[in-house]
Amino acid sequence: MPLIHTRLITWVMALVLMIPIAIGLIGTLLPAFQYFPPLGEYQLSLSPWRDLFSHGEFYASLKLTLITGIGAPILSLWLALSLLAWGYQRPFFTKIEALLSPLLAIPHAAIAIGLLFLLSPSGWLVRVFSPWLTGFERPPNWISVQDPYGVSLIIALVIKEMPYLLFVMLTTMKSIKARESLQVGQALGYSRFTLWRKVLIPQLYPIVRLPIFIVVAFSLTVVDLALVIGPNTPSTLAVTLLRWFNNPDLSMRFMASAGAVFLMLCVVSVLAGWELSHKLTSKITRSERSNGKRAGLSDNLLRLGVIVGLLALLNGFVALVLLPIWSLARRWRFPDALPSQWTLSNLERAGPLLLELTTNTLLIAFLSTLLACAISLIMLETKRQDMDKQHQHTKNHLFDWLIYVPILLPQIGFLFGLHVLLIYLELNGDLCAIIALHLMYVLPYVYLTLKGPYLSYEEGYLQQANRIHYRPWRNYLGIKIAMLKPAMFTAFAIGFSVSIAQYLPTLIAGEGRYSTLTTEAVAQAASGDRKQVGSMAMLQAFFPILVFWLAQFIPRRWTRWRLFIKQCVIRSKHFFFKKDTQC
Amino acid sequence: MLIVKDFCLSLKDKRLIQHVSFDIDNGQVLSIMGPSGIGKSSLLHFLSGTLHQSLTATGEAFLNDTALHGKPTTARRVGLLQQMPLLFPHMSILENLLFAIAEDIPPEQRHKMAQQALEKLGIPDKANALPKELSGGQQARVALLRTLLSKPDYLLLDEPFSKLDPALRRDVRAFVLAEIRHANIPALLVTHDSEDAKAMQGKCLELEKAT
Repeated sequence: MPLIHTRLITWVMALVLMIPIAIGLIGTLLPAFQYFPPLGEYQLSLSPWRDLFSHGEFYASLKLTLITGIGAPILSLWLALSLLAWGYQRPFFTKIEALLSPLLAIPHAAIAIGLLFLLSPSGWLVRVFSPWLTGFERPPNWISVQDPYGVSLIIALVIKEMPYLLFVMLTTMKSIKARESLQVGQALGYSRFTLWRKVLIPQLYPIVRLPIFIVVAFSLTVVDLALVIGPNTPSTLAVTLLRWFNNPDLSMRFMASAGAVFLMLCVVSVLAGWELSHKLTSKITRSERSNGKRAGLSDNLLRLGVIVGLLALLNGFVALVLLPIWSLARRWRFPDALPSQWTLSNLERAGPLLLELTTNTLLIAFLSTLLACAISLIMLETKRQDMDKQHQHTKNHLFDWLIYVPILLPQIGFLFGLHVLLIYLELNGDLCAIIALHLMYVLPYVYLTLKGPYLSYEEGYLQQANRIHYRPWRNYLGIKIAMLKPAMFTAFAIGFSVSIAQYLPTLIAGEGRYSTLTTEAVAQAASGDRKQVGSMAMLQAFFPILVFWLAQFIPRRWTRWRLFIKQCVIRSKHFFFKKDTQC
Repeated sequence: MLIVKDFCLSLKDKRLIQHVSFDIDNGQVLSIMGPSGIGKSSLLHFLSGTLHQSLTATGEAFLNDTALHGKPTTARRVGLLQQMPLLFPHMSILENLLFAIAEDIPPEQRHKMAQQALEKLGIPDKANALPKELSGGQQARVALLRTLLSKPDYLLLDEPFSKLDPALRRDVRAFVLAEIRHANIPALLVTHDSEDAKAMQGKCLELEKAT
């Protein structure tokens, strides 16, 4: 990109990134100390904290948050590592890899709704075994979802996070020379799992530390997933805080803000604890790594992980398949395994609503992702030019730090802080505000996806193009961007699916004036109208999967298609031209 | 005619090339040889105006009577051919050639020029093929013709034959020389291979480590 003033652009961009983060943080911190001008509170005080710590629900919620928020990432990491160790470089595993992307693409809420359909007492799992095995003619009186221990929430989190971690790990395999290490190790007589335990996982962990942190922060602070499938009364801390923030009694906001600050501290301390325990584990296992044992008992931990991991994947897929079945079901009595009558009328009945929700969803997703792509390109170009000038290819740029902040901070609290800014700017309830908030969460993922391919692009092509024919902008688009098409499409698909999954940003910026498939699906998940909820969740899952598929399908064929169409046009011109001369 | 006067190159305090002068007539190729890291490629970058900031170069370069050294790359009308053919992988061969032909020429004329280039290469049927469908030798030739179609005033060749099969090299070398003579522009070739220099039938300049 023929950018000038890159230094200026860098700082302006950094400022634009920092302002919302700073305002969001200040907007959470000040009310936590009773300072909130919109409500006429100007006196700093510790009373929100006193209220918070004397509230019984706070402790119950905190306990649940810690159990689910630490349990889910540990399980996800264990299962992802086990599956990778078991299947890496084996032929059938590429099939599993291909199945990962739909699970990656679909919004959390859709997965949670699918799991609700699968695991609840009247869900498909019980139906399949009833009545021939269980004897149930009616749904049993179990609490298998939204259980008070958060088990179903943990399952949902694992099903969503494990594929993500697996995906991230697969992309780093080349850089740690996994294949070669395995060959060398196996020649030395080591078993596959032992090699992973002793050689590969220790190398892999530092590279995927950041994605793991993102997963931990997400698990501790997730709202939509916990609303659908998490426990209520008490709920997890993030959900409890959301209820307090939305309480008609505005003074609850102070306590909620204090809670949001506490949640932020929780994330920081859990991450610190996580890192500490990693340090300890690697210290303890260090001597074990070189003891020469070719196989060990702890290999079985990985073996067990494979079985559990496969079960979790299977769960995720069945949950996905149940969404369209419910949306097409007319009559589906317990304990039938499949609907006895099918119909399209569910979709027709909800047609106008679904159309409106879909339009909103796609509009927001398209605009925020396109913006994110454009901004990412500018950011990457300034970074590339910087690297070119300084010869420091390993140095992290300012953006590489800033970009993670929004996804590591808890949305709850932070977004309510930003909401105050939106009200001042009179942008609350505006479509622009929703797109702006989505952009904040889409941008990091788009940037990270584009970063590798963009920076490793062979700049010689672009230089040669400009030497042959100096048209910097046209060549930038026609040569560089065109050659980076696969990465651009993938980044777009990822950004798109991130936007579709957003719940709180839409809710807070839109103030209920704009609903998307996600906000409506979450709101209705508890309603019990499974046919309608199934329709929404199905559409919610459909678009990201479609876009992911297109992003895989189009770039490979683009040039062939383009040349083919061009040929057709030329041929038809020739055809008409000949006719003309004949006449 | 390309004239270089008193060219010196240094990296920080390290002197690389000292006081090199030469001139190249139209249709002639001057070959420059020398050990790796001496700054042969940097000389090309100096002439094309893309010298890296960490290097300091002094000296003057003239094309006929106009000074080159002060001009930006885009105003120099330079053609550069590198080790890699750098054909754009997402464009057909024809599109790659058309890319180089000036815009102000009428479309039919442009097409004709590109088609002629393909015929010269003996691959008129490959117009709509993608670069990866061509052999290495063909790619190298297409890359040269693409550069020449942009009508450069002088040509810089940075080891363009080194990635080719030895068997192919002879043909490609002869092709390059014939095309340069045909275009009647001065060309500077940087190479490791004395065979390259011989094949170009021009003068050869050996650079030595500065003391």
